[in-house]
Amino acid sequence: MKIYNSYIIIVASLLLLTTVILVALGQGSLDIYYTIYIIEALFVTEIYVYFNAKARRGLNLVTYILFGGFLGSVALQIVKILA
Amino acid sequence: MGRDATIRNPYIWAGLSLLVAGSMACFSAYFIFDLTWITALGISLLILSFILLALGRTIPNLSPEVCVLLLETGITSIAAVIEELGVRSRAIYLPSSLTRHRPQALIPLRSNLLLPRIAKSLPQRLIVQYGDDPDDTGLLVTTVGTTAVGMLESIPSPSSSELESALTYLFRVTLGIADGTTIITRDNHISAVIHNPRFENKATWSHQCLGSPMASIVASVIAEAWDKPITIKQEEQHKRKYHIELEVME
Repeated sequence: MKIYNSYIIIVASLLLLTTVILVALGQGSLDIYYTIYIIEALFVTEIYVYFNAKARRGLNLVTYILFGGFLGSVALQIVKILA
Repeated sequence: MGRDATIRNPYIWAGLSLLVAGSMACFSAYFIFDLTWITALGISLLILSFILLALGRTIPNLSPEVCVLLLETGITSIAAVIEELGVRSRAIYLPSSLTRHRPQALIPLRSNLLLPRIAKSLPQRLIVQYGDDPDDTGLLVTTVGTTAVGMLESIPSPSSSELESALTYLFRVTLGIADGTTIITRDNHISAVIHNPRFENKATWSHQCLGSPMASIVASVIAEAWDKPITIKQEEQHKRKYHIELEVME
């Protein structure tokens, strides 16, 4: 389970670091936070090529959920622009 | 995964905890306090919780203690048979094409100064005759490597790079007992180096015959990849590296 732990620690550290940096930069848009979180999570998942098939299927499901959230936020922005 | 296993799974617990904490942080920060950074922190907790819950479902049901118990029992039984028969010859790791089923190890009952040539597939029995000579009798045993080969998603090709990635996948991801493997092939001699092994090797009679569990895994995978019998010539630990010398039999 060592590989799972290292993967989770890297993702958690990246997300926390991103939050700290964006807060320090005074970023006020939740969309920016969310988009960067997704990119980081996807990037780290792709780096870990050694995950077994079952773990990869589970992480693919997480990716679909996160991407669904991203599409939702894009849809909201479009509605805002059109309104 | 069973209900009991789910209850004991730390990844599921951590995931559920982060799910509750993230939901509460998001809800309160977004709808009550109107704080963007806490909402963002809550979203990051939710993402982590999804990842933990997804990975938690892939953890095996058996605890490491049960696995050690089963492994020790199996190895002890084989060791007892080998020691009782007084066999001193080195095992020959056979590919599945020579055993009709799955890769196994053949232990010749007579000292194999001249390694026997095995041309035909052997029957699925404990005591098998592998040559024309009546003395060409040996034990066909299932080893740790036999089971480990079954854990691979596909059988690698004989190239060093494919063998390296298959063995690294086995040792690092599936079994979690080492960090990686390097394979160097010179004609019919193969050198394998296992980096940072975390598996205790005991110097027993059966290990002299069958090799250590890690060497057994390496030999079985290479035998299956090359589709030829393999013997372990030598194995030794140097600091944080475990060196295994193997020979491919023609």
